[in-house]
Amino acid sequence: MLIIELIKLTINGKEVGAPTGSTVLQAAELAGIEIPRLCYDKDLSPLGACRLCVVEVKGNRLLPASCVTPIFAGMEVQTESEAVVEARQTILELLVANHPLDCMTCDKMGDCKLADYAYKYGVKDSSFAGATHQYAIDDSNPFIIRNLNKCILCGACVRACEELIGKDNLSYLNRGFHRKATTAGDVDYIESDCVFCGQCVAVCPTGALTEKTMAGQARRWDIKRVQTTCPFCGTGCNFDLAVNDGKVIGSLSNPNSPVNGRNLCVKGRFGWDFMYSDKRLTSPLIKKDGKFVEAGWDEAYDLIAKRFNEIKAKYGPDSFASLSSARCTNEESFLTQKFTRAHMGTNNCDHCAGACHAPSVAGLTNSFGSGAMTNVISEISSEAELLFLIGINPTESYPVVGYKMRQAHRNGCNLVVCDPRRTELAAEADIWLQQKHGTDIPLLNGLMHIIIKEGLEDKEFIATRTENYEAMKALAAEYTPGRVSEITGVAVEDLYKVARLYATTYKAMAFYSLGITEHICGTRNVMSVANLAMLTGHLGRPGVGVCPIRGQNNVQGACDMGALPNVYSGYQSVTDKAAKEKHQKAWGAPMPDKVGLKIPEMFEAAYEGTVKSMYILGENPVLTNPNANHIKEALEKLEFLVVQELFLTETAQYADVVLPGASFAEKDGTFTNTERRPQRVHKAVEPLPGKADWEVICEMVTRMGYPMSYNHPGEIWAEMASLSPSMAGISYERMEKESVHWPCTSADHPGTPILHIGKFTRGLGGFQPNEHIPPGELPDKDYPILLCTGRVMQHYNVTTQYSAGIAEVWPREMTEVHPQEAAKLGLVTGSKMRVTSRRGSVVTTAWVTDKVQPGVIWMSHHHSETPTNELTSPFVCDIAGTGEYKVCAVKIESA
Amino acid sequence: MADYKDIINQYKDLPGGIIEAYHAVQREYSYIPEEAVEAAAAAFKRSKAEAYGVATFYSYLKVGKRGKNVIRICESAPCHVAGADAVIAALEKELGMKMGESTADGKFALELTECVGQCQATPVITINSKPYENVTADKVAAILTEYK
Amino acid sequence: MAEEMRIVLRNYGKIDPLKIEDYIAAGGYKALEKAKGMGQQALIDEVKKSNLRGRGGAGFNTGMKWSFSYGIKTDQKYVVCNADEGEPGTYKDRIIMENDPQSVLEGMAICGYAIGANKGYIYCRGEYPCMVEMLNKAIDQAKAKGCLGDFDIEVRMGGGAYACGEESALIESIEGNRGEPRFKPPFPPVIGLWGKPTIVNNVETFANIPAIVDKGADWYKAIGNAKYPGTKVMTLTGDITNKTFVEVPTNTSIRQVLNDFGGGVAGGKKFKAVQIGGTSGGFIPEAFLDTQLNFDDMSAIGATLGSGAFFVMDESRDIVDVVARIAKFFAHESCGKCTPCREGTMRMEEIMERVNDRHGDAADLDRMGRLGRVMTKACLCGLGQAAPSPVLTTMQHFKDEYLSKFN
Repeated sequence: MLIIELIKLTINGKEVGAPTGSTVLQAAELAGIEIPRLCYDKDLSPLGACRLCVVEVKGNRLLPASCVTPIFAGMEVQTESEAVVEARQTILELLVANHPLDCMTCDKMGDCKLADYAYKYGVKDSSFAGATHQYAIDDSNPFIIRNLNKCILCGACVRACEELIGKDNLSYLNRGFHRKATTAGDVDYIESDCVFCGQCVAVCPTGALTEKTMAGQARRWDIKRVQTTCPFCGTGCNFDLAVNDGKVIGSLSNPNSPVNGRNLCVKGRFGWDFMYSDKRLTSPLIKKDGKFVEAGWDEAYDLIAKRFNEIKAKYGPDSFASLSSARCTNEESFLTQKFTRAHMGTNNCDHCAGACHAPSVAGLTNSFGSGAMTNVISEISSEAELLFLIGINPTESYPVVGYKMRQAHRNGCNLVVCDPRRTELAAEADIWLQQKHGTDIPLLNGLMHIIIKEGLEDKEFIATRTENYEAMKALAAEYTPGRVSEITGVAVEDLYKVARLYATTYKAMAFYSLGITEHICGTRNVMSVANLAMLTGHLGRPGVGVCPIRGQNNVQGACDMGALPNVYSGYQSVTDKAAKEKHQKAWGAPMPDKVGLKIPEMFEAAYEGTVKSMYILGENPVLTNPNANHIKEALEKLEFLVVQELFLTETAQYADVVLPGASFAEKDGTFTNTERRPQRVHKAVEPLPGKADWEVICEMVTRMGYPMSYNHPGEIWAEMASLSPSMAGISYERMEKESVHWPCTSADHPGTPILHIGKFTRGLGGFQPNEHIPPGELPDKDYPILLCTGRVMQHYNVTTQYSAGIAEVWPREMTEVHPQEAAKLGLVTGSKMRVTSRRGSVVTTAWVTDKVQPGVIWMSHHHSETPTNELTSPFVCDIAGTGEYKVCAVKIESA
Repeated sequence: MADYKDIINQYKDLPGGIIEAYHAVQREYSYIPEEAVEAAAAAFKRSKAEAYGVATFYSYLKVGKRGKNVIRICESAPCHVAGADAVIAALEKELGMKMGESTADGKFALELTECVGQCQATPVITINSKPYENVTADKVAAILTEYK
Repeated sequence: MAEEMRIVLRNYGKIDPLKIEDYIAAGGYKALEKAKGMGQQALIDEVKKSNLRGRGGAGFNTGMKWSFSYGIKTDQKYVVCNADEGEPGTYKDRIIMENDPQSVLEGMAICGYAIGANKGYIYCRGEYPCMVEMLNKAIDQAKAKGCLGDFDIEVRMGGGAYACGEESALIESIEGNRGEPRFKPPFPPVIGLWGKPTIVNNVETFANIPAIVDKGADWYKAIGNAKYPGTKVMTLTGDITNKTFVEVPTNTSIRQVLNDFGGGVAGGKKFKAVQIGGTSGGFIPEAFLDTQLNFDDMSAIGATLGSGAFFVMDESRDIVDVVARIAKFFAHESCGKCTPCREGTMRMEEIMERVNDRHGDAADLDRMGRLGRVMTKACLCGLGQAAPSPVLTTMQHFKDEYLSKFN
């Protein structure tokens, strides 16, 4: 047990104890004495500059700032002596003298520290009236109003931008009275490098930085705060929805958020307004004579029940397929797979994990026995000594994880990034390996080759924890540095550097994402990352592991819930007899025997005519699946399609019935983040269509003849937990109190942040040697440019396009083109250009940048006007079926 | 005129050398062009915001154009009591501009400064940091002719 | 008649400052050699025993300061010479460096040996570009002669910021940052330049070191006032007959400097006040002229010895006008990091201008009194803490001049 020695001192005559190294302010807090402070923020480095927290210390002629003054034994402190109060009053008067006193209409009133302290110390006005700042208000962007006339120069925004985000967009300009916390050259936020994460707003103690969405919407004391989980990306950030008059008006940091603290990205803080887009669907739509017509719920349910049942009767259970959603709640995914299996009688249930992390599930299950992230996000900053990133762009795709990595790197953790594109972290890394697209296996094999050759492998770990090592060793032997360098384009000496660093760092965490999985060899890529980690014993303890970061808020959960063709919830195989019997009994229906279809197989089957009807919940495969034109053709061939959605998406256009969905703010439930942590989603406002998705599913399925009735999503979770040993210990009650990682097998089980301690889920870890498999389609004479795709920071796969603010700052696809290519075609940033592959052709806008290599362009897939996936490759991972989004051949021209 | 990028790059390996680089740019340009601030940020691996922050902190550094010959007049107490006001008035009249401005022909910039450490002979002005001692209003014109 | 005593200016006028041979011929670099023979601890003890106290204004025992850095085991330590003499009316560091740069380098090298540092910086104010050139030449000569051993010295140039005279702000500036002070503790001898133990001493302090090592602590501590032994270089400005500099033992009185070296008030006028120690020094009326020029005696009368500026005002001077000008200086030079200094210096300037322009009232005196009291205690660094001193001391000693502004 750690024994902390307490130092004894007196504060206001009371003897108190505090740990060595505490400041006076901390010691006072421990003793329940609140000292006023403006620049102190426990999440930021100390500044000691506002001087409001000064105290009197016996023997010191000055009044030291308690936030930076260490305690010593026998110290005698007065926190409210006459001199201290005079100092505080005077300092407040000085601040008030240069602060607009428009508190009556200030949006921060009620949450303004300056106002609170002025009230406490009776500062009504200032005897120091004089010159005041007359700064122009920065209203340049859709998210943040910056009124620096209200700035008290506590520097919290500057420190947050540097220390929490690492964007370094703010510093101080000028000096003395004219000192100003602002951007480089004092330009407006919109013209600066601001990423609009809004951390500056979250830490601002006054009305200097406020959320534009909340301007004039509510007094702070009228705002109801509802803690919930972010609906974008898999990080699992929490925040509070600010609600007034039954309407969400903002998103506010909640310091008790287990994953993110107060950090958020632009999407979480400002992207929620998609829910109020005027394009939201509010009533069911039935397609009549090729046109959608608004319908009542009963009419819609009747039609759905009739057609699904008819088609099943006519073509058999396997003519039906369902897609659940990585964006909906766990409970909704659970219900979707449940009715697919119990009522429709088929295992044809999947969701878009197949389009992204199916190779992770397949690959890591092969290697370790569990498809999930082995370690947790907090270890990035608390444990890791090396972050090894391959095929992952965290600051854009999972910004809060990216911020944490940057923070760790700045605090001394090594950072190695393997990426063909110069991502932000690649540019900041200690070593950046710029491998050619689609050469991850040879790169990883090459690193293993060096590690083995130099005897740096973890021999004991290999001997006691793994199998099939000899085959691995034999294969790695063929990947000599010279050969690997030739295939990957990475310099031999860099291969050595990284191999040695990774192998010799005790706590090295490996991260990857879609840059690994979305390849023809995606699953083999994943297994190669796993091979590297096993070779060096980087598994089963803190600060190591193989960490796939999930792209969507509940892609982990949708998998966990069994919205997959081969498993029930908790990864219980549909071919396992016991599991099958358990479900038959619980659900009162026979369970299908055969493993169902994966997404690409479903669409192939629809195209071939064996799948006849589909139910799609909150997914938009037309926009997000590769080779989109093929998907469209498949959807057209279906006899009956139901889509449950927030918007009339590209996919919904093909539906016979569209059911209006509820946004994350309009329903209760849970999302499970990338680190296996289920967290509550709390309903903040009533659903726009009147019903939450889980209610709609229950009503629809009941109408189909299979009764489903729950009073609250908590009951759905409870049913799931009762059927899933790995989540049996997690309940809604527990989630309100603490956040745990599954496996968690009983109510008193603490959860499992780190997998594979002492033993892999599959017993011994299995080396899976893989040969290099080049991408299915590479540039050639006719299509000479390589197209790589991914996500941008401002957008999520879907929904963010409907956010007015985000659409304003990132309204269109911006295709990254290397200056060499741009010069050939006379393109400049902003030029229209056409991109054509063997499958389709789209018009986009050029962004000339050397982030990409010559001969490569890079596009995101967020914009309906530029449907990038009409271009992408038809090749899929041979094991997991995931599309090769990362590489295909195109040609480009000016448009 | 030497390129500010070349000037800055001469200092980029000097730890904390950004201020030295700014001085060097000013010796060539008499001011720091905005682009030079960004170039310095890149060379010294500092954020642009910080590079601006440093450049605008020091009163001898000036971001953005000013006259070639920088005239500074000390206004600290010893010079103040020795008659700095009269010298300021004479300089403003002679150059036809106010303190803080530059002449239209770009030859002169006129700035107030604090003590330049030549208090044995007050009032003092400096032109491009060269001190002129015991300056009086009637000496101003003659001093300036050197730079015209 | 008081007499000068030249320790830091021992070579003034006797050697060519840019000929290191002259310095060596005059006994230069013997002290460094001797210091190295003493061993680090003994050397520090000797400096401590001499009771040499920092000549930059804070008056801390130099040897004691060195011992804080010496006691830390680390890969790198630094010695920094504070040549950012920004106190208006002060130019003594310039005189020392111009006339005997090697004595400063030698003092730094001795310090480097004592604490175990092999790198030194001289932070020279931006107002002295010629001095930077001169120092660089002197360093080149010393290196060429091998006088400094493995101790390296580099000159860095300030940019016109009074705040950088404060040691932690100076360190920030060497690091290439805005010259804003750090909160303390930690103090620079423990965590300083680039996070490493760093001794920052004034030019005059370093120039004393070779003499102390050479002649011994006992010799030194017998000179001047025992509580603050040695000499102090004063620069005489304002309404004084001889605008010059002198180096006097620390038991010399203000009056002696004024009359014996300064030749009295210029033009035969009557004395009104002298401000000592620079622009943040208190204003001293006639009644205190017999105070000795050392740290403790000056503190006792509510004044400072500071940098050694000696600014005389005759009977014709408008004290309020001078203090208004000084208030403007502080508003201009405040770095703006802490609230009471950033906002307080601005308001002090505004109120002083208002009073000086005869638009003020008696309540303004109360306001300034309160503001001054708070700034003195609550500001982050010495700049803000000392800034109200001219206002407070003149309101105390020359209140009539303020009251006359209200008629």
